[in-house]
Amino acid sequence: MTPPEALLSARALTVKYPYGDVQNVVINELDLDLYPGQIVGLLGESGSGKSSLALALMGLARHPGIVSGEVNFRGKNLLKMDDEELRQIRGNSIGLITQKPRQALDPLVNVGKQISRVYRAHSQASKADAQVRAVELLRSVGINDAERRVNAFPHELSGGMAQRALISMALSVEPDLLIADEPTSGLDVTIQAQFLDRMWERARDANIAVLIVTQDLGIVANYCDRIVIMEDGKIIEDRLTADFFADPHTAYGKKLILASGAGTKSSNAEVAIATTPEILRVTDLRKTFEVEGGKRLQAVSKASFQIHKGRSLGLVGESGSGKTTVGRLILRLADPDSGEVWFKGERIDSISPKEFRKYRSKIQAVFQDPFDSLNPRWPIERVIREPLDLHTEMSKAEKAARVKELVSLVGLTDDILQLRPGSLSAGQQQRVSLARALATEPEFLILDEPTSALPPAARADMIRLLKSLQDRLDLCFIFISHDLSTVRELCHDIAVMYLSEIVEMGTSEQVFSAPSHPYTRALLDSVLFHDPSSRRVDRKIKAELEGEIPSPVDLPAGCYLAARCPMAEQRCRDDHQALIEIGPSRSVRCWKSVEASK
Amino acid sequence: MMRKRKIDPLLLIGLIIIAGSLFLAIFGNSLAPYDPQEPVGDFSMPPSADHWFGTDGSGLDVFSRVLAAPRVDVAIAVTAAIVSAVLGTGVGLYAGYFTGRFSEIVMRVSDILQSFPVFILAMVLVTLTGRNVVNLIFVLAFLYTPIFVRLTRSEVVTQRTRTYVEAARATGNSEFQIATRHVLRNSLAPSLVQLSVTVGFGILLTSGLSFVGAGVRPPTPEWGIMIASGAPNIILNEWWTSIFPGIAISITVFGYAAAGNAIERWARK
Repeated sequence: MTPPEALLSARALTVKYPYGDVQNVVINELDLDLYPGQIVGLLGESGSGKSSLALALMGLARHPGIVSGEVNFRGKNLLKMDDEELRQIRGNSIGLITQKPRQALDPLVNVGKQISRVYRAHSQASKADAQVRAVELLRSVGINDAERRVNAFPHELSGGMAQRALISMALSVEPDLLIADEPTSGLDVTIQAQFLDRMWERARDANIAVLIVTQDLGIVANYCDRIVIMEDGKIIEDRLTADFFADPHTAYGKKLILASGAGTKSSNAEVAIATTPEILRVTDLRKTFEVEGGKRLQAVSKASFQIHKGRSLGLVGESGSGKTTVGRLILRLADPDSGEVWFKGERIDSISPKEFRKYRSKIQAVFQDPFDSLNPRWPIERVIREPLDLHTEMSKAEKAARVKELVSLVGLTDDILQLRPGSLSAGQQQRVSLARALATEPEFLILDEPTSALPPAARADMIRLLKSLQDRLDLCFIFISHDLSTVRELCHDIAVMYLSEIVEMGTSEQVFSAPSHPYTRALLDSVLFHDPSSRRVDRKIKAELEGEIPSPVDLPAGCYLAARCPMAEQRCRDDHQALIEIGPSRSVRCWKSVEASK
Repeated sequence: MMRKRKIDPLLLIGLIIIAGSLFLAIFGNSLAPYDPQEPVGDFSMPPSADHWFGTDGSGLDVFSRVLAAPRVDVAIAVTAAIVSAVLGTGVGLYAGYFTGRFSEIVMRVSDILQSFPVFILAMVLVTLTGRNVVNLIFVLAFLYTPIFVRLTRSEVVTQRTRTYVEAARATGNSEFQIATRHVLRNSLAPSLVQLSVTVGFGILLTSGLSFVGAGVRPPTPEWGIMIASGAPNIILNEWWTSIFPGIAISITVFGYAAAGNAIERWARK
């Protein structure tokens, strides 16, 4: 697909920022063409100049930046235009979607008015027409109940809805070019999939050129026709997506493909059900939090599961599903409202915090935020040594030896020992956290999204490390994550959570090969495989969910998924669902799935 | 890309002045050319080669007294600032880490203390406890403690929610260990900045109290007393008795405040 003429073409585009006496070259002599109807994915590490390029293409690189070169849009150089001309072009022909949608919206004006303002600024429509158009636009990007939502203020919208309001604003003037800077970062996977599907459809239908800035190779593989990779302000690879995935030319491209593990959908193939002794048992765990107005938010409800020696449980769900709270309850970082936690036959949820400290050396944790998990004032050596100081009677020399052993166990070198956490990369920081957690040879670990804050390459390294440690140390852990492919790689068993409840449980193999609950199916469907030959948009979507996740403060009486579920019947809305066993170590919270499996 | 590290001139000036004031607090007496408490010549002599800053109404050498005064002013202010910083940081750490009734009470007491005009309260307290150096130190420390409580507490409250605190708990620290080993160290920066500024305030307050006759007693060499003793005679053109200690106060207070500001700016980078 090579359309005759580029819609936008940048030639020798350079952006520099003066920094003290030197000039920081952010974009260096860059050439780029964008064609109508083509979706281009712009990748690169943070600091490679991706976002700067997105802004420069719109003529938004401003003082104190120094811009040279050309950005021709339909043959006219944007960089030579005055503000008024640029404003016309920006509104009429180029739309921008930024990260952090809520910050891009005016908090004092309802979204309908914001959309119609943009629309009216660039067309002659009357106020009433613009309002009608706003409703149409909101509906077209998949917001149900659009008539009511136009009157909503930004704070009343979820992140996903705000992002969609923003895209409808950008689309309201029917632009020829849409620039989206990490439009789905911070969105949940099912919402991300809904959003990208809509954007893809709109771009196809209206022949819009789209530039998506992203870090996620999955988005590129699934939605982009062409991939552009930046490094140090230059384009190092610019090719059709399929070609790139077949044979990346540059080292960075190869690293990306390798990191994504494309094609290696390996898993823990043991279908076998656990026979080793039980380490942890959780029964009927429940936790609510008080929120403003005296209401209670239900974070975890009726959570029951057990973990056996040498096995790992993946706790999967979107934000707000309660998966992190389950981990915190087990770690006694929060106290459950009711329910029991048993560790090797001893009940540990009702003992005093002081008594619980004895178990700390046996139950350890790694948290999501790599930097924030480490005391910023302590050298790494002290961080890793801390659990040894607290729980062992080792001599100084023994501790020093153990620290060194741990450092090499997690793939780091001794020279970081005297550094502070701030001078390590996120990947290294997370390894330090892991070394600290392993110091006392715990019998059980809680890994709370240890990979999700890491850049793609570091994430792949971390997963590889966990996998090798799992084999070598016979680790037993709960892995909390929203990333299904990671869970599949690391975990024997899986529990899928939705709005405070476990909706499906089973071995990895069972759940991945034959997902039963509609939510599990939708979740699996929204995984963006790093493989352009199995794109989500080409698949026939079997279990697409609609709309938004309900608020955990006002939960519906029936099944929590009923409002979004394509299979829902009246019975689903009326009766709350119980977790029903449908096979050995396999259960599901959906009567229709249970009936279908009989 | 490394930015060139330039030393903040404000910090440099501040540190030089602080070092000078501490030096005088220790050695000022021995450097003084005359005994600062004994009349050494005629009354009210203007500055001359023998008496650089002149003599005052009692025939005391003004230069010697200016040099000797830091032993009182700076010593009181520094001691009071350190006592209040230690006390305030400790209480602030406790009140911030263990929120509850104690924390509420501490904050309300701080509110009450801080709502009084410092100077008036200091006068009342010194009058009640008796005018001597030790009492002055305690009064100043008592008055400045709420500042440190507040600063430390607000920092502790934000630090407490950081993941490293959670991680420390999961690692097996007791709450006391988390508070003292982890949170305290990360909550000290604002108090360190405030410490320097507080010494400046303390010098002003000490000399101010002496000026109105509520501080240390004459003939102790002290800048506030000196200004007070010279003040009535300024209209007789005897400017030197008051001007020199006044300049000394200004420079010293400026030095401590400048250092405090420079440290704050550096810490924020």
